Amino acid sequence: MNAQSSQQQSSDGRHDDDAALTDFLASLMDYTPTIPDELVEHYLAKSGFQCPDVRLTRLVAVATQKFIADVATDALQQCKARQSAVVKDKRDKQQKDKRLILTMEDLSKALQEYGVNVKHQDYFADSPSAGLDPAARDE
Amino acid sequence: MIDGKYGVEFLKEKEMENHQDKQKNITSGSDDFAQAIARIAVAQICESLGYQSFQQSALDTLSDVGVRYIREIGKNAMCYANLTNRNECNVFDVIQGLEDLGSVQGFSGASDYNHCLSGSGVVRDIIRYVYETEEFPFAHSIPTFPVVKGGKLYTSFAQIGENPPNEYIPSWLPMFPDPETCVHINSRDKKEVEFAVESKVEERHMKVDRSLLNLQPKLICDGLETGLADGNGYAAKAQRTVESNPFLAPPLQLEEKDVSLPMLPAKLSDEATSKCQNHAVFANHVSILEPYAPATEEIGTHSCQSTQDRRKVPLNGRNTVKFKLGSSRKCSGTEMSPWNEGIEKVSLWFGVD
Repeated sequence: MNAQSSQQQSSDGRHDDDAALTDFLASLMDYTPTIPDELVEHYLAKSGFQCPDVRLTRLVAVATQKFIADVATDALQQCKARQSAVVKDKRDKQQKDKRLILTMEDLSKALQEYGVNVKHQDYFADSPSAGLDPAARDE
Repeated sequence: MIDGKYGVEFLKEKEMENHQDKQKNITSGSDDFAQAIARIAVAQICESLGYQSFQQSALDTLSDVGVRYIREIGKNAMCYANLTNRNECNVFDVIQGLEDLGSVQGFSGASDYNHCLSGSGVVRDIIRYVYETEEFPFAHSIPTFPVVKGGKLYTSFAQIGENPPNEYIPSWLPMFPDPETCVHINSRDKKEVEFAVESKVEERHMKVDRSLLNLQPKLICDGLETGLADGNGYAAKAQRTVESNPFLAPPLQLEEKDVSLPMLPAKLSDEATSKCQNHAVFANHVSILEPYAPATEEIGTHSCQSTQDRRKVPLNGRNTVKFKLGSSRKCSGTEMSPWNEGIEKVSLWFGVD
């Protein structure tokens, strides 16, 4: 009895899940993701994805939007953490600190957690002795 | 840095300006249009989160990562579809692809290998995201891309109504090109063909030149092997190529032009014999002079000679080619002929560097 009831519950759960998924896919037709359908279709076609169903492309678009939003949120948190650390030292730069700028530093730290290694060059030098003291340069 | 209150619109204008300024330096890729759209979309997403401005490189990086994410989803979804003997994806393939990509960050229920896909944590996260965030569509309307251009279709035999020349050629294949472009001129009818060909030069000047330029290297290769026996055959073609490019003219025929024999300076010939072993510097000279050394002997012995004779090969016989196959991929063959006492090295029969 218990096994049957649990099975029935699980099957009901599966039906709920399926129903939720179906409803979600139907609602995607009303929702317009920020990433346009044409762009998503173009890149999916490049990787061999074949599906005439628009809902799937919308699903991929929404998933990508969520991914980028997550990465940008993490970068935003990094930026705010850095700004709050700086504001403690200098109170007169509050005007400028309120400005939120997406920088490579924050982005590389945020992407690190997602397994994407983006190392940004701090600076580029013409020669090995660029930026050194004149005394050291003579050597 | 690009800053502004209306980040996206300003960004778009700035991109246009940058494009106009750096037009000379830009190496346009084939995907520029799609990448530009991706950049705008990513900028819109970031703006909705609260960002006011971006670094150009950071925006490029994030949009590139987003594009790769889309491609990865597509690739994984196709993999799962192909595993189950399908070539069209369905929603479960996409969900499995998303699970693969989300396994780096982790999602609820990832460790449960037995779970139903429709109730996967990835799907629930996406549903929650959709319900929580506001909807903001893309800023511009985009045409469907890439634009498909009509391909150049060659007319087939059946379309024109002609019968193919032979039975084994099906009628749905494209037509053969005009015979004037690929005529093989016989040496006997040389003058007649010359006249006929010259009369059509004005009409098909460009086409013939192009086909001849393709033929010329092939003919030169053939000429080395089989000799200049049928050299008269392509004299007519040669005349026209000479008009266009003197460097593509065929080599001179026997006794067509009096050429003085090359006189080796006495200094070099002495050095070659005496000092070659000792000095490594002269090693290069030796390798160059070796073919000349037996040639100078030949010139002394034979009665009527010209510089072309060394390359003359009898019509009936062919050079016996001896291959030396080494351990490396490079193969070199040496040619021995009854006429040439020297060894002419023919290397790189099929050498790959």
